[in-house]
Amino acid sequence: MSRSDAGADGGSDPDRVPSIARRVVAPFVDRSVAERLLISVAAILLSIVVGFVIVLISGRIAQCSTAAWTMPLTGLGFCYDPVEVYVVLFNGALGYPFAVGEPGLFDPNWTPFNLSFGLTLSETTLLIFTGLSVAVAFRAGLFNIGTQGQLVVGALATALTVLAAAPFLPEGPAAGVVLIVVGTLAGAVGGGFWGAIPGALKAYADANEVITTIMLNFIAANIAYVLVLEVFRAEGSSVVATRYVPEHAQYLPWFFPESSDFALLALLVGLGFIGGLYYLVEHTSFGYDLRTSGVQAAAAKYGGVNAKATTVRAMTLSGAVGGVGGSVWVLMSEGRWMASVPALGFDGITVSILAGNNPLGVLPAAFLFGILKGGALEIGFRTDVPTQLVGVLRGLIILFVAMPEFFRMAGRFMGMGSSGPGGPGGSASTAEETGDDSAAVGGGEADA
Amino acid sequence: MNPAVHMDGITKRFPGVVANDDVDLAVERGSVHALLGENGAGKTTLMNVLYGLYEPTEGTVFLDGEPQSFDSPRDAIDAGVGMIHQHFMLVDPMTVWENVVLGNEPKTWGGLRVDEDAAREAVVDLSERYGFDVDPDARIEDVSVGVQQRVEILKALYRGADVLILDEPTAVLTPQEVEDLYDVFEELTDQGKTIIFISHKLGEALSAADEITVLRDGVNVGTVATDGVTREELAEMMVGREVLMDPATTPQEPGDRVLEVTDVRAEDDRGVEAVSGVSFEVRAGEVFGIAGVDGNGQSQLVEAITGMREATDGSVTYLGEPMAGASRREHIDRGMAFIPEDRQERGLVMSYDLTENGILGSQHDPPFASGGRLDWRASREHAESVIEQYDVRPPNADAEAESLSGGNQQKFIVGREFERDPDLVVAMHPTRGVDIGSTEFLHDRLLELRAEGKAVLLVSSKLDEVQGLSDRLAVIHEGEFTGVVDPATVTEEEIGLLMAGETLDDDSVEGAAVHDAATDPAGDAETDDDAGGEEVDA
Amino acid sequence: MRNPLADVTIPILDDLIESDYVRSLIVGTVGVLGALLVFGALFPDSVAGDLSGIVFSSSTAASTSRLAAPIVLAGLGGIFAEKSGVINIGLEGLLIISAFASVYVASVVGIGNAVLGIPAIWVGFLAGVAASTALAGVFGVVCIEFKADQIIAGLAVWLIALGLAPFMSTVFFGGVNTPNLGARVSWRYSAVMVVVATFASWWALNRTAFGKHLRAAGENPKALDTVGVSVSKVRHAGVLLSGVLSGVGGSALALSIGQFVGSGETMVQGKGFIAIVAYLFGNYNPVGTLGAGVLFAGLDAVQIRLQQLGYAVPDTLVQTIPYVVVIVVLALVGRTRLPEAAGEHYETED
Repeated sequence: MSRSDAGADGGSDPDRVPSIARRVVAPFVDRSVAERLLISVAAILLSIVVGFVIVLISGRIAQCSTAAWTMPLTGLGFCYDPVEVYVVLFNGALGYPFAVGEPGLFDPNWTPFNLSFGLTLSETTLLIFTGLSVAVAFRAGLFNIGTQGQLVVGALATALTVLAAAPFLPEGPAAGVVLIVVGTLAGAVGGGFWGAIPGALKAYADANEVITTIMLNFIAANIAYVLVLEVFRAEGSSVVATRYVPEHAQYLPWFFPESSDFALLALLVGLGFIGGLYYLVEHTSFGYDLRTSGVQAAAAKYGGVNAKATTVRAMTLSGAVGGVGGSVWVLMSEGRWMASVPALGFDGITVSILAGNNPLGVLPAAFLFGILKGGALEIGFRTDVPTQLVGVLRGLIILFVAMPEFFRMAGRFMGMGSSGPGGPGGSASTAEETGDDSAAVGGGEADA
Repeated sequence: MNPAVHMDGITKRFPGVVANDDVDLAVERGSVHALLGENGAGKTTLMNVLYGLYEPTEGTVFLDGEPQSFDSPRDAIDAGVGMIHQHFMLVDPMTVWENVVLGNEPKTWGGLRVDEDAAREAVVDLSERYGFDVDPDARIEDVSVGVQQRVEILKALYRGADVLILDEPTAVLTPQEVEDLYDVFEELTDQGKTIIFISHKLGEALSAADEITVLRDGVNVGTVATDGVTREELAEMMVGREVLMDPATTPQEPGDRVLEVTDVRAEDDRGVEAVSGVSFEVRAGEVFGIAGVDGNGQSQLVEAITGMREATDGSVTYLGEPMAGASRREHIDRGMAFIPEDRQERGLVMSYDLTENGILGSQHDPPFASGGRLDWRASREHAESVIEQYDVRPPNADAEAESLSGGNQQKFIVGREFERDPDLVVAMHPTRGVDIGSTEFLHDRLLELRAEGKAVLLVSSKLDEVQGLSDRLAVIHEGEFTGVVDPATVTEEEIGLLMAGETLDDDSVEGAAVHDAATDPAGDAETDDDAGGEEVDA
Repeated sequence: MRNPLADVTIPILDDLIESDYVRSLIVGTVGVLGALLVFGALFPDSVAGDLSGIVFSSSTAASTSRLAAPIVLAGLGGIFAEKSGVINIGLEGLLIISAFASVYVASVVGIGNAVLGIPAIWVGFLAGVAASTALAGVFGVVCIEFKADQIIAGLAVWLIALGLAPFMSTVFFGGVNTPNLGARVSWRYSAVMVVVATFASWWALNRTAFGKHLRAAGENPKALDTVGVSVSKVRHAGVLLSGVLSGVGGSALALSIGQFVGSGETMVQGKGFIAIVAYLFGNYNPVGTLGAGVLFAGLDAVQIRLQQLGYAVPDTLVQTIPYVVVIVVLALVGRTRLPEAAGEHYETED
């Protein structure tokens, strides 16, 4: 009834459509996924519009000698140019491939291996891990707000392990590979441990994971800070940080400038994680257990899923992926653990929500937030607009993505009717309504 | 004189569905009127229109001859209509009086304080006037279902209801509580109140109502006076054809003991004991039925047997092996099929398609999984075969479970469970909310299974169903078996007594005991040493 | 497990608190403080002496009430929202936005000036409350009308405020921190507001019709709907109240210093999240929330004083205590029971 025609075709002739291909394509054909996608895009556009208005209003209030932008027709002057802000944001994040205001759309001198694009991809890579971490837990019906803490612990575990192991190995590429692998494993173990705690508390003590993970974020940050401050602080360092791990134990930047803190290899590892987790969730028995627990816990229990074990496993896995994110942060971005850990874990929530908690969706979502990060720096360099604008945009995107009903209403209001995004959701909810209360359809409900 | 309620030409359409089609209904003041029909006939929709929850697509509601247009229940309440829903609309952690006055609290201190004394007094006054025995300070979660229903009635009366609508009021009551409810009806109508109640049970409508209106497929089939109509006539009005309720069972010698339940105790989710020492056995090739009013421990007993819940005491032995401590997974793997009572909560994952639902419970087992990897092609073929054999419509393995009607959902679950090739099938309310055609189909399949020599444990609150299908029939009341009887010879009255917690006189009990081998410990020791040893442990 | 503190009777509090667990919390706190006072008096030169000197000094009281105000007030707000069925995890954001708005408006009016006879600092205070209430209103509309996931929308409120306040501060003042107003609200006002708000909240929740409706909306919204009370309106009211109370807390926090600090996690520094902990800890009871909030703030205040006296306590570790305590309590004792319908959308049937 609510499935698309494509599905029915596959049903009538299953042999002609290889089942693996069907499964891979299904999420994109499925209308609810298409709807999700539409809502995500609409949310991004709407937050851009709201951001535009915010820039305008603050541009009216701020003090400046010459107007950066004059509104057509009204002649009102504004200190900030909202168009320029967005051009700088998106173009700048890529290293200015588009030649704005000049003949020819593309700048012929542009190469992808520039600093700004490197920064954008660096952020993208880190967000892939934290986004996946949150998404995996989400699929199991668990809201892991604690990816941040898992990342902090994983990062510290990586830094300390690599620092401890490095002296035992001769310098060189082979040792580098070993150290990176060992460091990544240490990150996974550290993050996994930190994720297992709220998982076990949820499973065996019925403690709400939203609250425990928030608490564990603070605890992780504080304990790691004190540990490094008192025990592992690098001598002579002005900030609270460990020593740098040896150069050869860090991801090499390859084509990108070193100051971009980006390594193509790390991105490839991230892509591998996306593929691996997608396969795990969709094509394994464990993934089936995990998803079923997430959408309908009672049915999962009926189907023989051990709820407690699945909760602990999902949180451990989620934490481990977050911990690997921490190891990449150490081995790719910073080269050491330092106290001012960026809020990558929180951004991971944003990424996962925007991705509809689908591992495959994490890539574009992480890239978008990578652009926002890379673009924010450019806004700081090139315009007078405070870079915190990007933080506001991030919050707005989340807010709008969280309210699909708004877009369905808007879709209906704009007369898109059943062909628009309102279609599937609308008809499903009415079917439910009549089912519950009149039960005139089919066999009715089990409410006698 | 105008009737108290007159619904004139009511049509209610939902997208794609006509729930009520030009329905007329007239109810005299001071009378009890039953609205009779099968599940899905549109009874509740019609009453929701009267209560202002739905606006009718066409038609008018008159009260005492005055046309009404209700935008919300508030309007209906103001006009003197009260509704007692099937699922009580009570706030569990709040007290009786708080619930009764909710939304109409008497206030003092310029509105800054609820006048608790006045509220309590109002509740006590009403209780006394209609002969209810209700403690105004008890919390809802601490009182029985019968009392909760009374609180709902008090709520309506407190708001000045003259017309009371009750949706399936007896579904959750014991026979004794049902009698008490009928007394309440009498008390209320004596004082001029008008009562409309929704039911799908013939006997109930005949014994409690003055007049009966039958709905079928959203259409009023007719209104009849109770003393001028027979059961058979009513049944035919409800279904639209002659009803053959008794499935044909053939006598059959039971085989080996498949399931043995000994002194099992279990608690409900709140930690209150729900099953208090139940023993029985189910043999291959027989259907063992358990009848009883809902909420007497059936759910917890079945959950303890199927591995969904840990028994607090006693033992369950399946195929000669003790199942204590075995996980739900092990129960499935050892060949125990389970048709759960709530198909939309447990039996199916509503957002999954049938391919995915077809492997629920087998997601770790070949041929659907090998080395932790799922084989979607095999899963799909399996789903398609279940769909074909069990006539699930629409026949599409890509259809999501939530898009199927209740009957088809149930057929798919039954198909999936039967195709496991189980040794024991535990079926709980297998035909609840299922249309008649599917019900007959499911009954036939259960009996086929019995003929194949499988053991079946059937739990149902439909008396005709358990009585017609079972070889032996146990009746459960407050977590204990009040008797195990031969369904072929027992009368409906006797079952009614057992369901109310009474025991039968010696003759019938003796007759039942012949069939009830599980309560005979000597029988255990003779046939099965393991089981005997297990009992010592327990 | 029998709770030994459950049997202790407290004359007035017993009326206010039904829960054994909250009672234990309060008895325990009072007991520890009492013991400290006794030991401090007996051994004035010991750590206990110093500690009791700190705990019972007026400057500790001042900083405790300054730190407790946002926690307790936001916590009270959280109770109203959550009791009505809307989990407001965005309290942190409400505190941030009100802290900034209060300082901004006070500085625009100008210390020394007045609007309609109200001194600038109090105009700022009201503006902070208004800003927080407005943001809570948006949150309410998003959750109740547009059926957003409450946790996600709450996070969004936090993230928006976390971006917006420093953004606006940079626009107006050229930096994420505002300049100091040079005037401040005395801690005594904060203390009075906290106490008044606590008892007013208790009354509203337990004695008024609104309180009963709020509870019904969170436990069984259908029950409320079928007696003709709009669930949406009650929930909007609950969410708006969380905005008002958080606004009072955020404004009090900023104005008690006279400045908004917007770097890092801003001056609010997780107090909104601690507020959630405080009301869960207090089992949705305003008095319990007050106790928990004061306890957490007191720990912080004592630690600051200890540091000043030269005890080498790593401050970060002391700040970690409330978080650890919360987890231990959640795991061992405090299986708090969320309102039945909290986090769920309610749709009226028509």
